[in-house]
Amino acid sequence: MESLVVEGLNKTFREKKRVVEAVKDVSFSVGEGEMVGLLGPNGAGKTTTIKCILGLVKPDSGRIEVGGVDARKEPRKAAAKLAAVLEGARNTYWRLTVWENIVYFAGIHGVSVSRGGDYFKYLLSVLKLEDQKDVEVRKLSSGYKQKTAVACALAKRTPIVFLDEPTLGLDVEASYDLREALRKLQAEEGRTMVISSHDMKVIQDVCSRVIIISRGRIVTDEKIPDLLTLFAARRYKVVISQNGDAEAIRKAEEGALERFPGCEIKRNPQTVEVFVSLSDGKQIYELVEIMRASGVSIETITQEEVDLEKAFLEVVRREARACG
Amino acid sequence: MWLVVIQSCWVKAYKLMTRYLFNMMSGLITLYIVFALLFYGTKSIGGGVVDLGDTLEGMLAGYLTWMLAMMGSTELAWNVTNEAQTGTFEQQYLSPVGYRWIAAITESFNFVYNVSMVFLIAMLIAATTGQKLHLHLASTLPIMLSVYVQATGIGFALAGLALIYKRVQSFFQVVQFLMIGIFLVPWDRFPWAKFLPLSASQKVLQRIVIDGLKIWQIPASDLILVLSVTVAYVAVGAALFSLAESKARERGVLGQY
Repeated sequence: MESLVVEGLNKTFREKKRVVEAVKDVSFSVGEGEMVGLLGPNGAGKTTTIKCILGLVKPDSGRIEVGGVDARKEPRKAAAKLAAVLEGARNTYWRLTVWENIVYFAGIHGVSVSRGGDYFKYLLSVLKLEDQKDVEVRKLSSGYKQKTAVACALAKRTPIVFLDEPTLGLDVEASYDLREALRKLQAEEGRTMVISSHDMKVIQDVCSRVIIISRGRIVTDEKIPDLLTLFAARRYKVVISQNGDAEAIRKAEEGALERFPGCEIKRNPQTVEVFVSLSDGKQIYELVEIMRASGVSIETITQEEVDLEKAFLEVVRREARACG
Repeated sequence: MWLVVIQSCWVKAYKLMTRYLFNMMSGLITLYIVFALLFYGTKSIGGGVVDLGDTLEGMLAGYLTWMLAMMGSTELAWNVTNEAQTGTFEQQYLSPVGYRWIAAITESFNFVYNVSMVFLIAMLIAATTGQKLHLHLASTLPIMLSVYVQATGIGFALAGLALIYKRVQSFFQVVQFLMIGIFLVPWDRFPWAKFLPLSASQKVLQRIVIDGLKIWQIPASDLILVLSVTVAYVAVGAALFSLAESKARERGVLGQY
């Protein structure tokens, strides 16, 4: 069963003479209990997409269905099913304590202390906030502040939670703690979560599926293991030796770039590394032929190990090339 | 659901107020000092220049109305501005009851707090000037409420402006002075002035405080006028806020800068 359905979402901002097409025909759905990552470069349209779903930005067109409710027709009914931590915002009252913030934000969602108190305490323990419970948020480190914002969002017990850049500005340990907590809570509660982040580790660690947005459009929507397998099978590293024949190396580089425009070339003191993503495995023979014709010596050819970051960069670059 | 929301808003407003105790105390002292300066200043130049009433009660009625109106109108607008900057506005907007109701509930707390402050200042003034005041609670409270609700209507309109244009704080201060102007428009020369915000309530409040009338001794037509103006201004204010909210959502500027 789908928890969230977005169809043909469009949003254009018009500011004086400037027109920005922030979201272009975005469609996707998220199943119940699924944890989906939203990836994209700065200004790709991730936050606008999230804000359209939350009702904070009015889309120009498109359908948004939240837990079976048409969010554009019944925004308040849809809001009851949603919670979010928004990027770049405090999200909490710094003059209130961690506990007071949780109680307030759950309260305005209709969850009282008597109904949700035990769960609030549980959240504090999972997010390692117990010792900070009665501390005013302004006195906490950025990691604890962010965890408080996450606790406030989760305390509402909504079936769908959006976390926009939840680990932004956090140190390695705080980011790890938060990821651990999210994984644990999701496994236990099976809530639908959409996480937008620049931090690939967060998405790779926590999510099962990734949607990559670039220039306002969805360019990839895949299960993370499938995406990694796909790229692992395509990405090669060819090492050629720099044995004095600069002209041959120049020819090899030019030939590779001409045939495979997205390939990367890295010059080392002794070798030149050519990284290339192939749409068909057989293209490796073409690359070998280019090298042979240039007169360079190939030292090794290896299939690259691909992580989400490399896959993401490849998708975004390919999209950028396609758009000129 | 609603009870939990009301309780949450009231508890939060109370806690935040206690966390800004210095701010609260300095506000109280400032309001007292301003009244003292106004009172003794008017007395020393012979009084009557400004129609706040030439007795302590008259001046007090004018001052109380202005003070409440100022609090009601600008607090809401300041809150929206501040909360939009810190990111708590969007979080409240996500509540199933909507931000307008959260703001209205918070304003109900502010009304109780501000009226308590107004009474406290009035008692301080009476103690320092040695004069007795006609502050019949059952009569003054409903009129004060009408003042506050009308001011909240203005506050909603200002908050709407703040949502779209963000830096409009200086305009809030202009509005505070405009409200003094409203009290000064004479009804006999400008009959339409009775439909201006706060004007009808202030006139009724003056009769209660100066003439010592009880609310049931006020002509029904005057009370109906107060009620109609109150409903009209809060409805128009809320509608303008709603319009601004929709515009801000369209432009993507709801909440943060």
